[in-house]
Amino acid sequence: MGNPALRTEAVWKVFHQEAEEVRAVRGVTLTIQHGEFVVLAGPSGSGKTTLLNLIGGLTRPTDGRVWVDGLELTRMSSRELARIRLEKLGFIFQSYNLLPVLSALENAEFPLLLRGLERGRRERRVRELFQRTGLAGLEHRRPGKLSGGQQQRVAVIRAVVGEPALVLADEPTANLDSAASDILLTVMEELNRDLGTTFLFATHDSRLMERSRRLIHLVDGQIVSDQWQEPRREL
Amino acid sequence: MSFKTAVITKLALRNLRRQARRSLLTAASMIAGGALLIFSLILGDGTHEQWIDSAVRMADGHLTIQSPRFQGSRALKDRMPGESRAFVEQALLQGGIVGEIRVMAPRLAVTGMASSAAGARPARILGVDPAVEVSFSVLDEKVRQGRYLRPGDRLAAYVGIGLLEALDLRLGSKFVLTAQDAGGEIAGQLVRVVGTFRTGIPEVDRSLLHIPLSTAGAWLGCGGDVTSMGLLLGNSELVPQVRRSLQQRLSETHGTEALRALSWRESLPELDAAVKIDDFSNYLFQGILFGIIALGIVNTVLMSVMYRRREFGVLQALGLTPGQSASLVLVEGLILTVLSGTIGIALGLSVTWFLWGEGLDLSSMMDNEWTFSGVVMEPVVVPRFRVARMVQGLSFIFLIGMLASLYPALRAMRIDVAETMKFER
Ligand SMILES: Nc1ncnc2c1ncn2[C@@H]1O[C@H](COP(=O)(O)OP(=O)(O)OP(=O)(O)O)[C@@H](O)[C@H]1O
Ligand SMILES: [Mg+2]
Repeated sequence: MGNPALRTEAVWKVFHQEAEEVRAVRGVTLTIQHGEFVVLAGPSGSGKTTLLNLIGGLTRPTDGRVWVDGLELTRMSSRELARIRLEKLGFIFQSYNLLPVLSALENAEFPLLLRGLERGRRERRVRELFQRTGLAGLEHRRPGKLSGGQQQRVAVIRAVVGEPALVLADEPTANLDSAASDILLTVMEELNRDLGTTFLFATHDSRLMERSRRLIHLVDGQIVSDQWQEPRREL
Repeated sequence: MSFKTAVITKLALRNLRRQARRSLLTAASMIAGGALLIFSLILGDGTHEQWIDSAVRMADGHLTIQSPRFQGSRALKDRMPGESRAFVEQALLQGGIVGEIRVMAPRLAVTGMASSAAGARPARILGVDPAVEVSFSVLDEKVRQGRYLRPGDRLAAYVGIGLLEALDLRLGSKFVLTAQDAGGEIAGQLVRVVGTFRTGIPEVDRSLLHIPLSTAGAWLGCGGDVTSMGLLLGNSELVPQVRRSLQQRLSETHGTEALRALSWRESLPELDAAVKIDDFSNYLFQGILFGIIALGIVNTVLMSVMYRRREFGVLQALGLTPGQSASLVLVEGLILTVLSGTIGIALGLSVTWFLWGEGLDLSSMMDNEWTFSGVVMEPVVVPRFRVARMVQGLSFIFLIGMLASLYPALRAMRIDVAETMKFER
């Protein structure tokens, strides 16, 4: 466990749009240790999503290097990147993005299924997480029959179920009302505290910023501040 | 089945079910296509079998055994010894293929002249064994007057109606046959008309006549020798196998040059060409039809990929490789096509079996006698159900499914995950 969960070194991403150059991420160097609960904040267009995509191996950097759990993504083939995503990363999206043809339980266990874990172990692990996140009894519902907050909790389980080195969450609360957001944040805090899951959020949501232990501000693709703080406990 | 294949198959099945309505529409066209495909294949095979059967019974059988030199020369000096019949029978027995032979007919063929008081006409004279010829040739069924040859007949002739008229003969009339005998001398033979036939093919009616083999042998100084042995098999598909086995036995016992088994494809090249052309035009038609069906499949599968771009993005974010995303699409397309194609084939088979299993009567579609490649056709086509055709049909449908899903699969593979996540609401 000597390696940090994440390390980036002078990462750049430049998009070419027509004649224009868009420098979405400009030389970001960042290290996140295992077990951290980090929020990446910044105005719209500051490069949060782009940075998360670079870390997730979904976008290739124009320059610089990225390591996840000590493995350098920058030189990997797309197949190797897929493997890293399967084994080292978890994703939570703004609009839940559960697979509509699978039940809540099947969605949650999907990464384990892809890793070839046998059914008994998959179910035990997923049911335990359903219990822990207040979803018990909803295992066999299709996503369409769940509320937004419930769907997002299933998505959180899907992201953490394989015990990834790092969970990347882009605006996870943006589609939720404040009550549902609160529940979701509590769930993630507990997972972070009890299982040691490492979270990196990108958000505009001030409640989420307040509840993080480390808050990074991104402006115009650059880190302008990176501070540890005493997280505000839920009321 | 690896667990990844299992995951992909499960997802594919669920996705097809989710898009049941669109899937069903595409499936319906595939079902109709599969049914039509198998129907036209088995009906085509039935038609061809009938062509072949009529033609080989008018000519020299599915397989003709003769000296390789006779094929070119058609001369008596290239005949084969009378014992050949016994050799061939033995070879068939040893090869374990005697059961596939319906009839074996020895024949002595010679070209000569037929003359009467009214004049002389060129004639194709065939010495036959009347006892076996009745079950080999179709000629005895075409009798117009009198009767076909019988065992024990000696100076009898069964004459085409055109030749009969040209020589101004009638039943019971005598006339003279002349031809070069085995020794190269011109020899004559007096025969009497016992029957006359009409095939409807002018060239045949004008020149062909049958006489007893024994009469021909004595006249031409060939004794019991024959020019060829015609073999009629249960059906034309047996030809290659019987031929191979027979040829092998014959060359083992007689050397490679002595006797040769000629298939109907070689002895009736126009018929062979006609069957191939007909098959080809059927394939062409099916190809076009399935091209159209395939476009429908491409459309369905591609729509479902484009409609699920975000989903494919999520799958790749969760760790599916681009290749696995592509195979998900391929599997969906294949399940859709192969399932519906198989249903279509089963449907086509059962409908054909129940409605036309005994034969499909096309006489209402033909105004008069229909001759083909010199052979008069029966208006009833009996479909032929062959396993090979079903395998062919299924493989073709599999291929179509594969080809049709290839492009959509490629699109799924090339999806830019970051792009699909961009416009989140
Ligand atoms: N594929 C692309 N092609 C061109 N420009 C892009 C592309 N993706 C992002 N950008 C640009 O990069 C910059 C950063 O975008 P990004 O989506 O990372 O910002 P963000 O911080 O996530 O914003 P928001 O808070 O609105 O989600 C923006 O100026 C955006 O227009
Ligand atoms: Mg963003």
